[in-house]
Formats: sequence, C-alpha cells, structure tokens
Amino acid sequence: MINGYWVILRSELFSLFISPATYVSTFYFLALLGVGFRFFIESFIGTNWILPPLSSLAVGLIFGSPALIPFLTMRTLAEERRLGTLETLMSAPIEGSSIIIGKWSASYLFFLIICCGAYAYPLLLWILFPEQAQTLGFNHIEHWIGGFIFLMSFGASFTAIGIFASSVTRNQMVAGMLTFSLITLYLAIMAFSYGEPHQVASNNAYDQFLSSIGGSLNKGLDKLQFFAVGIIHIPTILHQFIVVFLFLTLATLQIERMRH
Amino acid sequence: MSAEAKPLPIIEVLNIKKRYGLIQALKGISFSVGKGEIVGFLGPNGAGKSTTLKILSGLIPADSGEAKVCGVDLAEEEGEVRNHIGFLPENNPLPEDLRVIEYLKFRAMLKGLKGSRKRDRIRIALDICDLERKVSERKIGNLSKGYRQRVGIADALLSEPRLVILDEPTIGLDPRQSAITRKMMERLRGEVSFILSSHILSEVEACCDRMIIISHGQIVAEGTLHELQNEFINKTIFEVVALSNRIDIHKKVREIDETCELLQDEPVEVSGKKRFIFSTEKGEVVAENILRHLLKDSNLRVFEFQITKPDLETIFLRATKKNWEQNDLLGKRSRRFYKENTI
Repeated sequence: MINGYWVILRSELFSLFISPATYVSTFYFLALLGVGFRFFIESFIGTNWILPPLSSLAVGLIFGSPALIPFLTMRTLAEERRLGTLETLMSAPIEGSSIIIGKWSASYLFFLIICCGAYAYPLLLWILFPEQAQTLGFNHIEHWIGGFIFLMSFGASFTAIGIFASSVTRNQMVAGMLTFSLITLYLAIMAFSYGEPHQVASNNAYDQFLSSIGGSLNKGLDKLQFFAVGIIHIPTILHQFIVVFLFLTLATLQIERMRH
Repeated sequence: MSAEAKPLPIIEVLNIKKRYGLIQALKGISFSVGKGEIVGFLGPNGAGKSTTLKILSGLIPADSGEAKVCGVDLAEEEGEVRNHIGFLPENNPLPEDLRVIEYLKFRAMLKGLKGSRKRDRIRIALDICDLERKVSERKIGNLSKGYRQRVGIADALLSEPRLVILDEPTIGLDPRQSAITRKMMERLRGEVSFILSSHILSEVEACCDRMIIISHGQIVAEGTLHELQNEFINKTIFEVVALSNRIDIHKKVREIDETCELLQDEPVEVSGKKRFIFSTEKGEVVAENILRHLLKDSNLRVFEFQITKPDLETIFLRATKKNWEQNDLLGKRSRRFYKENTI
C-alpha cells in the first residue's frame, strides 16, 4: 500500500508540475494575492482590522481557495475516468485508498507550495524593509506559524473536497465547478456568523451537541483569531481532519463502486 | 505405482455468476486454464467475455461462484491476484501525455519493481514487444494504434506475470501488427499462460491451444480445434457460392435432405454472390446429390461448391446459433409477457 501511495504521489506531483494550467492559475492567484496584500498593508493603519496584518494573507488564501483548488484537483480522477486509465491503474496491485490518498497528497502539497509562495511577500518585505515590517508585527514568529497551520488545516479539507468532486464525474469542468461550489458553500456557512458577539453559553445539552457537531462550520472563521496570534486551536484542526477523512472516504468508495 | 503429480491450473473457475442490474451477464460458467496454455475466449458482442476477464483480473467481483487465479482465491485476496497477472483491458486506455518509457517506469514502480530489476524488466518487455528505443522516447499520444497496443502488452508483461489476460488485443490492428502480437505470444509459449478474447477467429485458430466459446453468459463449447471439430460437429459441412437468396436455396437443399441446416443467419456476400454454409448428418454422398440437384435449377446460379472441414468460424456459428435462438425465444416470451401484462 505504501509503495503504491508514493508512486501515485510522485506521478501526480510530476503531472501538476508539467501542467501549464497549474502554472497559469498559480501565477494569477499569487499576483492578485500580492496586489491585495500590498494595498492592505498600505492602508492597514486606517482600517479597523483587529488581527495582526499577517493574518490578511491567510484570509486572502482561504477566500481565494474556491478559485485555486479546482485547478489542482479537477483533473485528478475525472480525467482518468474519462480516458479509462483509472481501470488500468486499478488493475495494478494497488488499493483504491492509496490512489485517492496519493492524489490528494499531491494536490495538498502543491497547495502548500503556493501558500509558501504567498508567504514570500511578507518575508521579502521583512528582508527589504525591516523597520516597517517590525511596525506591522512581522517579527512575531508565532503569527507566521499560527497562520500557516490555519492554512494547512483548511487547505487539507478543501483539497479533499476537490478530490471527492473529481471522483464523481468524468468531466473535469463539472468537477471544477462542483469543487468551487462546495468550497464556496463551506466558506459561506463558516463566514455566516463571523464577528457576531458570543452569546452566553447555553446550558441546553441539545444546543451544545448541535454546536459541537457543526465543527468548523459553526463560526469557523472566528477560529482565525486564535491562529493569527499563534494559538493553535486543536478542535479546529481535528474538525478539518474529520472533513478530510469524510471526503477521502467518499472518494474511495466512489472509485471502489466502479468495480461493481 | 506412482501417480505423477498434476500441476495446479493457473485459472480455476467454478460456476461464477455476475449480474448488472436486470441483465444476467454470466449465468454460471466453469473452466480451467493450465500452466503455459494459450486459451482463446470467443463469443459474440455482449456474451460476457470482458466481464469474465475483468473478474479474473480482480477488477470486479463475481456475485457468486469460485475463482482461483495462480492458486489464490479471488473472493478473498483479489489484491494478491493482481501481483501474479498482467492485464490488457479492452480499448487499452493509456495516458496521452507521458512518454512510453515514463509510463512503463510508472507501471513498474506500481507493480513493486525497483532498481536494476525494474530496468531489466522494462528492457525485456520492450524487447518482447518490439518497441525499439526510438519509440520508447515518444509520447503515447503520438503513437499509432498498433504501437499503443504493444505498449499495453509491454505493461502487462512487466512484472513477470504467470498469467496474461488480453481483452481484444488485436482489435483495430492491421495484419502485420496482429502478427507481431502473435509472435510475442509464441515467444512466451510454455512460460506464461495467456487468456485472450477476440472476434478474429482465424487469429485465435492460429495461436491458441484451446478455445472457449461463450454466448449469453454461458459456455457453449470448449476444447482444442480438433476436439471441437470431432465432438461438436460430426457432420459434413459444405459451402455453396450462388446468386440465390437464403430462402430459395435452403428450400432447394431440403428437397434432398430434410435435416440439412444452414449455419449462418446472414450469408457472406462477395461481389453480388452469396456464400452459404450448410451442414448435413448424412455424409458426403448426400452433399454431392445436393450439388447435382442445385445445378439443375438455373435460377440459383451456383458458382462454387466445396465440401470442407468445419473451421472455427463454422463451429462458432454452430455453437452460438442454438444458444442465441434459445435466448431469443426466451426474450420474445418475456417481451410478450410484459406487453400482455402492461396493456
């Protein structure tokens, strides 16, 4: 299983690195993010943003994900199904779960590479203009780590959603649209209650239960407040882990279903 | 007295069944394939050939029955079975944007080959399939159908399989390319067992040790060509090339021999003339009498007459015709039943 996983991961990463679509989308995404980050930093003093300025990068990456993730995941399984190469792949001694996890890992790693590219902007700023960077709080290493872990956890679940969307159709455009819609919906639900004042904790067990099963969907973006200042909110990471597990299991079941 | 130990068959299939929704694709088929044997799997479209081959390659499970490949039970360890076999699926789907050598390296790694063994196996597979160095550097998307098929077969041979399953390996290939595939099988004869499905009967006849004919999810004939000729058709076969239509010539033939049977549903037509294949149980003398009788009728315009040994095509037609008629009758009955009950 492990051998198959590494082979799929290498092959998928290779195909992502040689695909012009990946480069074009990454370039535009990072360019737009860079422009947005520049304007935000310039006008930061005048805004009422309560979080460290570095967190704006994480917010930009998260809200840009519906446009970026489809380019990384839509081909993975939909194209294999269209060409029929998934059948050839499954005739090799490899488990369906290894195929799914290998493909997801490749997309996820590429997403993390893009995140690293995005974090190059504040890094450059810090190297070139250390005084201004210090004023903006870029010298707090915990802000960097917290923001990146926030992106790592949400990036994992978003790429898992993309892999699932790619497993349900033979058309990569449909897979892309489905990924866009599902991630947008996810973000919309999370953002719905963002910034609302916290109500007095309900003693009602039913309300507490509903709130807990909602996971990150329930005021998910509020958790950025923890990560932005370097506090690692473990429940949020666990919630994203559950989302990853759920969508990768669904994708595995989907390709195993084709055997029957 | 010591009995020589009989080697275990590579494939043992016992009463396997498979259903897709309302369609019963396999109705309980049983057969075995010995070590080093080349077995041809024949049948009309939709007979269940590809389903059987997919079950044997561990791609899909059977609904019931027992199947063992290389001594491994498919129901229990279908993943383990894939370590012992090479499989060329129908239509041979391949990634267009990879080079041949890249694709074979990828497949070799998937099959657990590493280091020098991987390099050696790739070299051997390329050599067996006549894929010279220049071709191995080309992108798969730019290859001709014949070369693509050879890439698929090279992939199937990578992990030194004990069994190679080829689903329509020569479909769409020109005679030269088909001959290369046959040559490849000849080269490995005795070392590797092959099971291949094909519509090209002459090819199966030329390269297979044994044939299995399947129709409507059932095995209707099985054996070597000689066994099938002796056991399946112990009749005299004769061919008539004439300008007549099917009904007239059959009527005329039956005037001499009531039991004489026309083996085709539709006779082969060549430049306006039709080739009819008949079988009679009454021997060559009656066949000669039939010829004399046909020649008396100038309207039939007989051009050729030949008494032949039944070839695989004749056996195939004979074997599948009876099964086809039975199934068609059942189909008609069920359609009539459905119509009567819905109106």
